[in-house]
Amino acid sequence: MNPQSLQTYFDGAAFVALSPLIVIALGLLLLLLSSVLPVGRSVSNLLMLGTLLGSAALHARILASEQVPGLVVGRSYAADHTSAIWGILFVLGTLIAWLYSLRYYEDERAFQTEHDVLMLATPLGMMLMAGAHDLIVFFIGLELLSIPLYALAAFRRSRTKSVEAGLKYFLLGAFGAAFFLYGSALIYTTTGSISLDAFADDARRSAILGEPLALAGIALVAASVFFKISAFPFHLWVPDVYEGSPTPVTALMATGTKAAAFAFLMNAAVILPHSAANSVALIALLTMAAGNFAALVQTDVKRMLAYSGIAHAGTLLLAVAGSLAGDPKAGAALEASLFYMGAYVATAGGAFGLLALLERDGEHTTTLDGLRGLGQRRPVIAAALTLFMLSLGGIPATGGFLGKYLVFSVAVRADMTIYAALGVLLSVVALGYYLRVVIAMWMQSQPEGSPSVDSKPVALAATFASAVCAALVLWMGILPRWFLDTM
Amino acid sequence: MQLVLLTFLPLVGALLVLLTPKGAEKAQRAIALITTLAVAALGIVLYAGYEPGFDVSRYLIEVPWFTLPSSYDAPTLVYFRLGLDGLSILMVTLTALLMPVVILSTWGHVEKRVKEFMVWMLVMQTGMLGTFLALDLVLFYFFWEISLIPLYFLVGIWGGERRLYATVKFFLYTLAGSLIMMIAIIAILYERGTSNVYDLVNQLCREPVEQQLWYFAAFALAFGIKVPILPFHTWLPDAHTEAPTSGSVVLAGVLLKMGTYGLLRFCIHMLPGAAVAAQPVMMALGAIGIVYGALLAWAQTDLKRLIACSSVSHLGYVVLGLFALTPAGLSGGMLQMVNHGISTGLLFLLVGMIYERRHTRALEQFGGIATVMPVFALFWVFTVLSSVGLPGLNGFVGEYLILLGSFQSAPLWSVIGLSGVIFGAVYLLMATRKVLFGSVTIPANRTLADLNGREIALMLPLVALAIWIGVRPTDFTRKAEPGLALVSQRVLEAQQVRTASLTNESPLTEGVAAR
Repeated sequence: MNPQSLQTYFDGAAFVALSPLIVIALGLLLLLLSSVLPVGRSVSNLLMLGTLLGSAALHARILASEQVPGLVVGRSYAADHTSAIWGILFVLGTLIAWLYSLRYYEDERAFQTEHDVLMLATPLGMMLMAGAHDLIVFFIGLELLSIPLYALAAFRRSRTKSVEAGLKYFLLGAFGAAFFLYGSALIYTTTGSISLDAFADDARRSAILGEPLALAGIALVAASVFFKISAFPFHLWVPDVYEGSPTPVTALMATGTKAAAFAFLMNAAVILPHSAANSVALIALLTMAAGNFAALVQTDVKRMLAYSGIAHAGTLLLAVAGSLAGDPKAGAALEASLFYMGAYVATAGGAFGLLALLERDGEHTTTLDGLRGLGQRRPVIAAALTLFMLSLGGIPATGGFLGKYLVFSVAVRADMTIYAALGVLLSVVALGYYLRVVIAMWMQSQPEGSPSVDSKPVALAATFASAVCAALVLWMGILPRWFLDTM
Repeated sequence: MQLVLLTFLPLVGALLVLLTPKGAEKAQRAIALITTLAVAALGIVLYAGYEPGFDVSRYLIEVPWFTLPSSYDAPTLVYFRLGLDGLSILMVTLTALLMPVVILSTWGHVEKRVKEFMVWMLVMQTGMLGTFLALDLVLFYFFWEISLIPLYFLVGIWGGERRLYATVKFFLYTLAGSLIMMIAIIAILYERGTSNVYDLVNQLCREPVEQQLWYFAAFALAFGIKVPILPFHTWLPDAHTEAPTSGSVVLAGVLLKMGTYGLLRFCIHMLPGAAVAAQPVMMALGAIGIVYGALLAWAQTDLKRLIACSSVSHLGYVVLGLFALTPAGLSGGMLQMVNHGISTGLLFLLVGMIYERRHTRALEQFGGIATVMPVFALFWVFTVLSSVGLPGLNGFVGEYLILLGSFQSAPLWSVIGLSGVIFGAVYLLMATRKVLFGSVTIPANRTLADLNGREIALMLPLVALAIWIGVRPTDFTRKAEPGLALVSQRVLEAQQVRTASLTNESPLTEGVAAR
């Protein structure tokens, strides 16, 4: 590639489109540097915060501008309003996870800067995944997200469970990545292109879908994406990995990774045949059932939330199915997914974050029994956790409710009312276990003889993160107009 | 503006209670009582000022809220829309009046975690008032589901031994129905492009009956579980028995009425064609509920559970009356909703008072209480008589109108319902005999203290209302009647369409088109 063609690739629009990613990349380098230079923690913290906020601000600029850059760098990356909203969501998810992680590793002399560098790399990968318009860009994004997460999952090296989580995630993730590559190779073999453009017009699309080889490729790619969003039957890795990973990392995986995979799925849904709608809906329901029923019997809250995350992925998959089946409102499925995922990021981020906070304070909280009587001991934290549980359960006045409403609307509009009805009934099952958390906190007293916990003062960063999450959940639930109009 | 104040004043009170320090129980109780008294005063003012002919827009609050996709080019604009009309005026007033009584009753039995209790009670009042006042389908659903949560906590924290089982059962049962209703709301909003209840009332009645029946089924399921209509009643005895006294009073007095109110406003008024088509089924369920509930109550040995089962029976009357779809049946059903709130509320209060003294509710633990607690006995007998429908008291008017109304449309179910009156008298009077009369056999009962001033004072307003309704029911039905007349008119039109289609054997849609 000569400099000339590089210039045509990387024009002004591309610079605007990629500016949020460039900021993060620069921030990463500076952060790495700061770990060897004699500067204090506060500098690197500021650097991290500034990088994330800067990236969000640049996304917001794309969102606010009338003229979006669109497809850039040889039509391989799309920057538009949608990708900007996803980008802001990723930054939010990372920010929440990072704020909660600040004091989390205190006792273990962890490599905080390295941790931060790894964490900062993930939104870069997510943004590439969300904006990817060809399969290779997506793959690069996927790896940029996954490899830091493998390391982060195993970050508490002294704990066997954490190492186990990292290893499991790595092995299965490697399989998923291999599936993806193999699938894209098969698609390339038949279409001669790795771009989603190949599926743009219906004639070419149906021609491609007639090729068995291409279909096999699409199936492999879909399997890989379903692995990342933890859809049935590719969901079994989730509970172990979520449980074993350090809780702030779990928060990041639950919110960011899932959102990024969904962002790509919404873009790439064009490669799935319309006739797949029913199978996708079926997978959605099975995912919801698998998540919800397995969550019912969990005694560890982190594990329960992992299964709940699976169920949420199933719910959101229903929106994908609805749009495949021909939702008459074009773009409404995307809007529903954005809203749903936005509410989920704030809710699950807050919930996992609060668990991290309690864990640090030495409560044995990741079990239900450990949460007993929390409402008496620490009413504010318990109240916030209750709010998040209700939002996960989709009760009105929380963002979770409207998200659920919008997603099921997609299915109802696409004449999938039966699936929607089964879906809402499965979400009643979900309330069964969210309520158990609430029951433990408010309606059961602390078991006799358990050591009284001297609660450390809550870290400022964590308080701030929880307040932001709670405010977002309520704002999206009570006055959602701004969000709905922006999306 | 009055309606916004009415709805959110309790919420403000709840926030105030939240701000008080943990131990300041006196202040918390005082704030809760003052708030509910203020709401009650506001309710009375509204009620007195409400003239039957009033256009709903007199109190209407309408603020654009957010948008949802619709099948039209423009998205559906969902409004925050509150309004008072003939269908809601009585329910709103009942809710406003009952709450100070409930709060006052907690002096006796809520000792732990007073602060949270008051917060949840006040939040619940906002939820209930909002449900009755909402004139936007989405807003209605909002309040409808929000009002689940406070009761969930009230039963779960302050309830009896099996409280966790009862409260989860209550929550999941009701939620399942609500979510099916949500699917119907999604479909209606998308098809019609509006969530304004009045617009929908005008539009949906023109839909073919088959279409209406789908919506009707979803709504009736949600409301039927809440009422509860047979066979969805099993959560109610558990929830009632385990709930603290005040929780039971609110549950029986207001929360269950949200179900019957929903049946009236949405299933009958909004979907008259379906209501006419489903009338036989609903009347049958109502009438069977009356008898079945009464038999259930007869078999109980726990006083509170007995009254809970009697609720099933009494709400059977309401369903029977509403689905008689005659003017008499509708106003009887409406009045009975109020009556049940008063009578059953009083019964739960009385059971709570005796439970606070003896810490048991088993029937065989009592006997001869009348000699020890004469004032209690007086109130008990009065309440039982009001509940079984003694002429001159409130229950009689409601039951009479319901039986009259249902006799006009389906004599069979009316007669079966009538037999419930007898059963009702049997189990309540038997319970009265076992508790009050005979000789005192259990030593612990000899030393029971009679009702104190607070307990008497809190029941007096309800007693006064019971007598007032019994003597001059028109003071109350008058306010609701124009609203109910609109409902009857819709039903009449739907009935004509149905008769026309049955005689011509033409498809129903043509019958509609011909009109």
